[in-house]
This record gives sequence, C-alpha cells and structure tokens, in this order.
Amino acid sequence: MANAKSKEQVVNPIGASFTRNDVYEKVTGSAVYADDIQFGNKLLYARAKRSPYPHALIKKIDISKAEALPGVKVVVTGKDFPNRIGLYLQDKTIFATDRVRFIGEPVAAVAAISEEVAMKAVELIEVEYEELEAVFDAEFGASDKAPLIHPDLDKYVCPNFIFPKAGTNIANHFKIRKGDVSSAWDKCAYVVERSFKIPHIQHVPIETHIAIAQMDEKGKVTVWASSQSPFAQRNLIAHALHISQSDLRVIAPLVGGGFGSKAGVTMEAIPVALATKCKGWPVKFLLTREEEFYTNFVRQGLTIHVKVGCDKEGNLLALKNMMYWDGGASTEYGTNVTRAGGYSSSGPYDIPNVETDSICVYTNHPIGGAYRGFGMSELHTGLDQAIDELAEKAGVDKVTFLKKNGVAEGDVLVTGMIMHKNGIQECIDNVAKSLKMNEKEKPSSPDRLRGKGIAAMWKAPAMPPNPGSSAWVEMSEDGNVTVGLGGQEIGQGTFTVMAQMAAAALGVPYEKVRIAGPVDTQYSPYEWQTVASRLTWSMGNAVVLAAKDARRQILETVAEAWKESTDDLDIINGVVVSYKSERETSLENIVIYGMPKENNEGWTGGPIVGRGSFMPKYVTNLDAETGQGPRAVVHYTVGCEGLDIEIDKNTGTIYVLKGAASFDVGKAINPALVKAQVEGGFAQGLSSAMFEEIKLVKGVMTNPSFVDYRIATAPDMDFPLDTPFVEVPQDDGPWGARGVGEHPMVPTIAALGNAIYDATGIRLTNPPYSAEKIYLAMLDKGLVK
Amino acid sequence: MINPHPGLPELQYVKPATLQEASKFLADNAGVAKPYSGGTDSFVRLRDGILKLDYLVDIKGLEGTKELSFDPQKGLTIGAAITMNQVARHPDVLKHYPNLAEAAESVASYQLRNRATIIGNICNASPAGDTIGTCMILDGVLKVHGVDGVRAVSLSSFFLAPGRTVLKPGDVVVAVQLPIPPKGLVGTYKKLGRNRIGDLSIVAVAVLGYPTPESASGYRFRIALASVAPVPFESFKAEGVLSGNKITAELIDEAAGATMDSVTPIDDVRGSARYRKQMVKNLTREALTEVWTKLSK
Amino acid sequence: MTLKTITLTVNDLVETVDVPQNMTLLQMIREKLSLTGTKNGCAAGECGACTVLMNGEPVNSCMVLAAECEGANIVTVEGLAKAGKLSTLQDTIIEAGGVQCGFCTPGMLISATALLKRNPNPTDSEIRSAIVGNLCRCTGYVRIVDAIKMAAK
Ligand SMILES: Cc1cc2nc3c(=O)[nH]c(=O)nc-3n(C[C@H](O)[C@H](O)[C@H](O)COP(=O)(O)OP(=O)(O)OC[C@H]3O[C@@H](n4cnc5c(N)ncnc54)[C@H](O)[C@@H]3O)c2cc1C
Ligand code: FES
Ligand code: FES
Repeated sequence: MANAKSKEQVVNPIGASFTRNDVYEKVTGSAVYADDIQFGNKLLYARAKRSPYPHALIKKIDISKAEALPGVKVVVTGKDFPNRIGLYLQDKTIFATDRVRFIGEPVAAVAAISEEVAMKAVELIEVEYEELEAVFDAEFGASDKAPLIHPDLDKYVCPNFIFPKAGTNIANHFKIRKGDVSSAWDKCAYVVERSFKIPHIQHVPIETHIAIAQMDEKGKVTVWASSQSPFAQRNLIAHALHISQSDLRVIAPLVGGGFGSKAGVTMEAIPVALATKCKGWPVKFLLTREEEFYTNFVRQGLTIHVKVGCDKEGNLLALKNMMYWDGGASTEYGTNVTRAGGYSSSGPYDIPNVETDSICVYTNHPIGGAYRGFGMSELHTGLDQAIDELAEKAGVDKVTFLKKNGVAEGDVLVTGMIMHKNGIQECIDNVAKSLKMNEKEKPSSPDRLRGKGIAAMWKAPAMPPNPGSSAWVEMSEDGNVTVGLGGQEIGQGTFTVMAQMAAAALGVPYEKVRIAGPVDTQYSPYEWQTVASRLTWSMGNAVVLAAKDARRQILETVAEAWKESTDDLDIINGVVVSYKSERETSLENIVIYGMPKENNEGWTGGPIVGRGSFMPKYVTNLDAETGQGPRAVVHYTVGCEGLDIEIDKNTGTIYVLKGAASFDVGKAINPALVKAQVEGGFAQGLSSAMFEEIKLVKGVMTNPSFVDYRIATAPDMDFPLDTPFVEVPQDDGPWGARGVGEHPMVPTIAALGNAIYDATGIRLTNPPYSAEKIYLAMLDKGLVK
Repeated sequence: MINPHPGLPELQYVKPATLQEASKFLADNAGVAKPYSGGTDSFVRLRDGILKLDYLVDIKGLEGTKELSFDPQKGLTIGAAITMNQVARHPDVLKHYPNLAEAAESVASYQLRNRATIIGNICNASPAGDTIGTCMILDGVLKVHGVDGVRAVSLSSFFLAPGRTVLKPGDVVVAVQLPIPPKGLVGTYKKLGRNRIGDLSIVAVAVLGYPTPESASGYRFRIALASVAPVPFESFKAEGVLSGNKITAELIDEAAGATMDSVTPIDDVRGSARYRKQMVKNLTREALTEVWTKLSK
Repeated sequence: MTLKTITLTVNDLVETVDVPQNMTLLQMIREKLSLTGTKNGCAAGECGACTVLMNGEPVNSCMVLAAECEGANIVTVEGLAKAGKLSTLQDTIIEAGGVQCGFCTPGMLISATALLKRNPNPTDSEIRSAIVGNLCRCTGYVRIVDAIKMAAK
C-alpha cells in the first residue's frame, strides 16, 4: 500500500477558501446569463404599456391600432389573464384588469419583431382611465379615511399566518404581546421614544430583470429567466395560466445580482402571457434600467415608532413598536416582510415585556418585496438607534449595554421560542475591539468631527414553516461527482459551497465535484427559493444527505464484493479503503459498472445516485392575537457592525475611517466567501445609509436612473473593513453552518446613525444620512455657521 | 412617468465631409437633425424620448474639430471632437490651464470622458456642465460655423436657458478658443456631488485669480458657479468685493457670502435650495482660500 | 431603415458587419458578433458593464454608434486572454476573490486593464477613480481593488 492515493495529503473541504467554481467563465466572458442565450431570428421582443396614474379605474383599452402595426405579433391585456397570484397573499394579476394601483403597473404588452416596433406599438395602445384618490402614506392608508385600494381583499387567498383586514387597506396585522408592557414602564428608570421613517429603496442588481418565454405547439411553456426562484415561478405562473406545473419549465442560468428582487414572480409573467398567444415564438422581455427602478419590487418604506425602557443598571425591561409598512399596490410578498419584522421585533436583546404591531398597508406606491434581510434593516434602523440613545441616558457605555442585553441560550424570545446557543457576545467584542470603541479619538483636522457607532442585529430565515430542499449526487466513469440542486448561484457562491459539502460528505477532493447547472425545473431537484440566507443550511443539508446516500451505496457495493462490513470501510480522497483488510480501490472502478463479486458470483452495485431531501418540520404557527407559539423560526444568525467616521464641517460629507463587521456563521464552510459576503453586504448597507432613497412624489419615482439614484462607487468605499467571524455551531446545520448572505446589510444604517450621533450629538431619524441632511442639521444646531 | 427606449430609437447617422455640408444639412433639417459629438448627452435624451431626431450629424471628422493646440500668442484651441480625457492629460493644458484639466477630470467616469467632449458640454448648456464655468472665466470664445460662414461667439453671451443657447439651425461649433492666461494665474474647481466623485454636482465652483496692477487689491478673481442658476453663472458681485480691498480671510468670507447672496438655486433630486446656498458659500470660500494661499506665496 | 456596412477589428479578428444606423456598439458586439461577455446594465453610460477598449481606450459601448466604428479596433473581455492564457488581471481577480455575480466583471476588467496600461503603479485612490464608472453591487469593491493592486505589482 505504499504511495496509496488514499494517503495523499488532502485539504479538508470544510473551512477551506477554495476558488469559486464559476469564476473562470465569469472572468473570460463565457459565463451565460439569460440575455446571453441565443434564440435565432425568430425571437420576438416584448414591451409593456404601463399605467401613468397611481390609482385609477380602467375604462377602456383599445389595442386595435397597435395590433395593426406591421411587425407586431401579438398584443395582450389583463382580460385574458384574470387569475390572481402571489407568494403569500394572492392579490395580484399579471396585468391590471379593472384598475391600476401604481405608476408603472403593466396594463398591456406587445411582442414584435424588434424593440423599436414594440415601443411604437405600446404608444399606439389607447387606455382610458378615471383617476381615483390615491394613498401615498401608510399611516393614512391604515386609517378609515383612506380610499380602498383592494375592495375585494376579503376574497383573496392567503396562508393561515397572514391576517388581512377586509374593508380596510390593511393587508396584514401581525401582533406580539409578551409580558405586560403597560405596567412595565413604571419600573423603567429610563425610557426613549423615537420615530423613524425609512424610505423605499431599490435592489439595483447590475443585471436588470429579464425573462424569455416560449410555448410549444402542445402548450408546454419554457421560461428562461434571471431568477432566484425557478420553482416558485413554475408554481405561480402555472397557477396564473391555469396550466399544470409540469407543463411549465423554468431554466435559470447565472444571475447578475438579485438581493431578493428576483424572488417570486414579477415581470416574468409578461413574456409568458405573450408567448401563450404566439405558439412557437420565443418572446424576450428585458427591463430597462429605468423600469427596473420604478416597476419592480422595492424595499417597502417603514414608519416605526419605538418606545424602549430599561432599569437603573441598563437592563432592558420593555419595548413597544408601532410599525406601518408602506406595502404598495400589492402586498403578496410584503405581508411576510411585515410578519418577519414583527416576530423579530425585539432585535437580539432579551426583553421581558414586548408589544409590537406590525401593519402592512396598501398604498399606491411601487410594490414591496423581498430585499436582502427584509424587515430587519428597517427594524434595526429604528430599534438600534433608540437603544443607543437609551444606553447613553442610562449612563452605561454602549458596548456594555449591548452585551448586557444580548440574547443568550435559553432566553425566552418575543414569540415564546427559546433561544439557541449563539455568539453575539463575541461579535460585539470583535467590533468593539476592532474600532477601539472605548477610546474617543481625535479628528484628523479641525474641519472635521469624529464619531464611532455600533449596532447589533439578528435575523432568522423568513419563510413559511415548510420550505423544502432536495439534491441528488451522481458520479461518472472518471470518479467525478455531479451534484444536482435547485438553489441558484446569484453571486453568493452557493455552487462552490455545495461542492465543498458534497466533497466532504462523500470523501472526494473538492476539485472532483461539479454542479449540474443551470438550474432547470425539468430535471433539477426541487428547491423552494434562493432567499432568506437559507441555502447553506437547508440546501446544504439536502446535499449532505444526498452525498451520504451515495456514499452508503458505494460502501455497500464494496462491502458485498469484498465480503466485509461497511463499518470497516471509508472513502478517503476518492478511494475506498478497508481498515480491516487494508485493501483499497478507486471510485472510478465502482461507481458506474459496480463490482464483480469474488469467486465469480456475479456483480454487485451499479450506477450510483444519491438522493437527499430536507425540510424543517418543527416550526409552528403563532397565535394571531399574541404572536406566541413554541417555535416561530428555524434559527437566528446574530452579528454586530460598527463604523468609525469623520464628518466634514464644510459640507456634511461622511468619511469612513474604518468599518467592522462580525457575524456568527456557525461554521464558515468557505471563509473567503463568508468574508466577501460580509464586505459586499456592508457596502450595500452603507450605500443605503448614505445615498439611497426612491424619491416618490405623488406616486411618481423622480429618480429612476443611476444618475439620480446614487449607489456606492469604489471611491466611496475607500476604508479598511475588518470582518472577523464567529463560529458557534448550529445544531441542525451542516457542520454547524447557518446563513449570512443577508445579515451584513442589516445593522449598517443604525451603526452609521449612531456614529453620526457620536460625532455631532444629532440623531438623524430618517435615512439616507446624506451630507445634506447632516450639514443642515449641524447648521440648525449651531455646530456650523 | 418615463418609458425609455431600450436602445436608441430609429434614426440615421450622417457624416458630412465638410463644414459647409454639415451646416446646410443641419439647416435643411432644422428640428430633426442635431450635431453629434460624443453623444453622451444626446443618447440619454434620445432614449428618454425628450429629444426626438431623425438624424445624428457626426461632426467629429470636420475640419478643425480634432485640433488641440497651444499657441503662445493666441492661446489654446480645443476642437469639437476633443474629449475630456484628451484635455485633462494634454501637457499644455496642464501647464497653462490646470484648472480646466481639473474641471474636465471631474466629469463622470474615465470611460465616459473618452467620449464626452468639452464642446458637447458647452453646447448642451446644462447648468451642471462641469467645464463651462472654467471656460467662461478663462474668457473662452466659440468658433461657430453656420450657413452664413464662420463667426465668433463669446461664452459670456452664449447661454439663454437650461439647454438653450444662441446657436441657430445649421450652426456647428468648431472649437473653443481660450486666450493666453493672465500671468501668475492660479485656479481651482471645487465640485460637490452626492458620491465622493463622479456624480453630477449639487454645487460646483470654478475660481481663478491672478495679480494685476489694475485692481485696488492688486489681484483679480473670477468666480463661476454650476448647478445653482438656470445658466452657468459668474458672480460679478463677489469678484467686485475682492478687487476693491486688501485680500484677507474676512474679505474672502465676505466674497463667499456675496456669492451665496447672488444666487437663487432650486430644489431638485440632487439637493435642496437651502443646502445649495450654504454650499455655494462654503465651496467658494474654500476655493478662494486655496487660490489665495498659492497666489500670496 | 438602411443598414450601414462597417469593417472593424474585434479581438484581433477583422469583421465586416451590416448594422442598423441606430445600433450601438454594445448591441453590435452582443447581437451581431455574439460576443455576450460585454454586458448591458443601463444602456445609458452609467454602470460601466458595457465597457470595451476602443482604439486602446475604454469607452461605454452603449454610448457609441456602431455606424461610426469603421476601422476601429475593439477589445472585449473575450479578447483579454491570449491563446488560452488568462491575463494577469484575470488571474488576480480570481485569486483575490473579486468576482461574485460576475455581471460587472467584464467591464471592470477592461477598465482596470486600461488603467494599468496608462499607469502601471496606481495608488489606491487612482484605482478607485479609474473604476468609479464601473458599478458593482455585490463586492463592495474590496477584492476588486485588491486584485488591481496585485496585478500592478
Ligand atoms: C452617465 C453620465 C454622467 C455624466 N456626468 C457628467 C458630469 O459629471 N458633469 C458634466 O458636466 N456632464 C456630465 N454628463 C453629461 C455629458 O457627458 C457632458 O455634458 C458631455 O461633455 C457632453 O459631450 P458630448 O460630446 O458627449 O455631447 P453630445 O451628446 O454629442 O452633444 C450634446 C449637445 O450638444 C450639441 N452639440 C454637440 N457638439 C456640437 C457642436 N460641435 N456644435 C453644436 N452643437 C453641438 C448636441 O447636438 C447636443 O445637443 C454625464 C453624462 C452621462 C451619460
Ligand atoms: S450599459 Fe453602458 S454604461 Fe451601463
Ligand atoms: S460582482 Fe455582482 S455586480 Fe460586481
């Protein structure tokens, strides 16, 4: 057995920073995204006719002139597609039918031989509207003075954990009643009350939304889409079209950034609708950047009123949250954002008395959807700034205050769930140490002010109780492994991490594992959606199960052939070894053709196919009135961020000197990818904190371009960012891992707000904390002349 | 609501061989044809549907448009096809008009500046045009070729309203000429955007100064502002303050205040009128202080 | 609309293409030459995903008319690797981990390639300025800037 392959030095695939497995294609331009797929010259181009009104009845649609335009293949309107769809609350149709509810809502669409012709046809569609009074403010929308936006709310279908109020604009009202808040205020030595208004923002993936659809002569539909949810899209679109799920095939190539925006169904239904009316023709719909800004899912706006109190020593005693979410014209996804904001509304703090009302309100604004860590950035922006203020009032240093109140194993959470082991203390320590939070440091010039801010966070995967994952593992003659899965590579590196897990669970080197992509609902195994930071954990579990299943099949084959027990066998470095007989054989020899049994007794084994499926089974519903239940969520990822900044007294411009971010990832399967996620999320959070806001004036987005809606560029991020992570294992995570994709952008606004406060003594409530807001506040306060 | 075209709407690309041909074509197709240089303004407006054209008339090959030269008697000539980057790295520009290089470099991104031209910036007549103020206070004069031949138009009388100039159908700006800079000139460009760099300005200030026996202070200053008035704006009031008295920090403050008082900016997506006014004062003060520090050395 | 026939060099190959007059260089590269590595993120000169080298200098290909590219020399991301060997920057962006979704990567590589050609030893702030017109929503630019520094060494 000298020089045996099994004895070669191998890197443990778990915890190794392997290079991403999609990177060669991405740096050479050969990576395929949806718009790169070639369809030949039969391809048709779609454009949408959109509502110019925030709220109006549709009196008449005349498509005759558009249909008559040479080059137009088909024109569709809402009357052909009356079915309601929606991920949580089914309140949406593909096209507006009787009324429009936001500016940009599609009322009709055209497929034509070129984009120019499609544009001209769209202009020829005549729509008559009767304008209605509109709702532009969530709090007003929730009142009985507001006009109704969805008069049929009582007829809409939704799961039993969403609570719409018929006859109002309230699409969901989630409540928490824990302890007794009203009597707790008297016991508080210090109380802070603050209101914050967090604006709508946009996801801004650099690849805009795109989908291509084709229906064959038999009525089967294929959709190619830049998608985080090929399976959810299959389900929802099939529902909308009244066709069976298996007659709808979604192929989802690489995604050029999603951040939640490409989850669920938005514009994808439009080319599908068109394709059903021109069988055999592929129809492509690519959103312009401007459409991406004002017609797609937005992060919904939030008005939050926070009241929080603690005792003399700084122990949190009571919290009251009133949250009004500006859900927009449809709340099919937003109802769940509201729910998530509600059941996590204490933040990562142990608070005995909590009362939360999280109310999702229809408005005539763009539709709210999932945005990276949904509900949590918005909540923490208010909560963690109020807590910062409370710590100061109580005279407790901020780091100590966070640590003192941080959730610990065994704590009873706001929903009654019991908290699991977590590393919040270490995360806070890491940030505090990195930024020297205990030291007040001098600004670099008399023209500047300096300040430091810190904020903790938590977030659970926000999803229904039973979202499933599945996977298969196959092998080829060369002993290479192919993993089939249905989660999407959207930049986070999930294909790489899944390959690492499969390699480790099977016993082969990382380099031997491939991912079967692109995800294709026709043959890829089911995955609920690529959202909620759930893939490493949920799909990871499925992949590990599939790899272990394949491993079992291999070992059983060898055991039978060698007449040994599987207990004595192992797979190391792609080689099956016996600890007992010290025999070994390479996987190549086994995985397709099986093995001959000894003494010419025939063969055993055969092509190896492992299968794995995972679904959490322990999540319970919560009481409608109190939000209490045994287990609201699968788990929480906790973390902390901080910023050391300077502010230019002449302009209000923020200069970040240093940032720090620390999250408890359970186990970093690929440390470099974890750090890359944290860096990118921190930058996105900071960008939203300093620049981003969808400026809505009477329902019109006035800044729908990169020139007017600014995001962070490279020069804005010119500071060192420290990202030490913590690893307190998750009991049901693969190797203890839990997700961290969304979390890094959750506490950033609060951390910046706290740093600005530290520098200026000014509490800016409404982000973005632009230079202008800071300067004018300093001027009003007399800090500058 | 805008529903922009995914690409450019249908139009014809026209490349005339001579200035005469260009002027005639533009005049014959007034309203549906426009000169096309870098296209960085035109493309955006064409896609948005704000600008509707049948013809883009490429002026980049025409006589004189590729000239970028410095003459010790006549000064600098920048042809209409010359890009921001060509200006920003040209040794004579860096030597004699470093403030123009600074302004040109502040525009958008490096790759956009390989297309965007100074003349396009001027002809587009946006109040935010970054190179306009500096060209103005350097006493730039445009060489315009129209149907009736060539004429010179001073930048100080070129702008009428946002996006509107004295140009008539058939006019092609061939170049801008900047006279020899005054001896001892020091200049700077201060631009405040929402991002650190690369944004359109919320406010921007172009300042230059040079010693001259003709003014009581011994110096003359010129101050031009972007994004605070309908047209690029020179603050004569503040310039007056600085020529009358000995230059001190207090006088600079006073001039900055006078600059602020001379503008009535508007609220828009980039900034509020209130912030803009404050920033006019602070950026002007900063620019004047910087220029004065160098001058008085 | 009449087509215009142009001849140009793209990634060292001479191509003759019939282009509609309103077609941008970006559309020509992607649709006529099927070089889909160059991306469309805005079609308005803002995001830099479409950046290519035109006569050695980076431009937003969505801001150039194909019709005016007669005789031009274009390099796209597909032209960076030579004979199957990645360019230094392609290697370093992999090593540094500067790629996530990858949609900004082609334009980023072109801008960075041009930067290192005109300034082989850029400072941190020169690097950041050179890519200010290349938006990346995934990485926070951290590892992209690292990659450019590594390639400069
Ligand atoms: C993403 C982006 C960012 C930008 N950022 C900035 C910025 O930071 N600062 C800034 O100042 N600008 C900015 N701009 C605007 C634009 O880039 C500049 O104004 C540029 O200088 C215009 O030059 P051009 O050659 O591209 O103009 P073009 O688009 O070719 O022309 C602009 C206008 O001038 C006319 N014109 C052009 N040449 C002539 C001529 N020779 N004679 C007569 N008329 C002519 C055209 O008909 C057109 O109306 C930005 C644009 C974009 C797309
Ligand atoms: S696509 Fe050209 S800059 Fe965005
Ligand atoms: S890697 Fe996704 S935009 Fe840069």
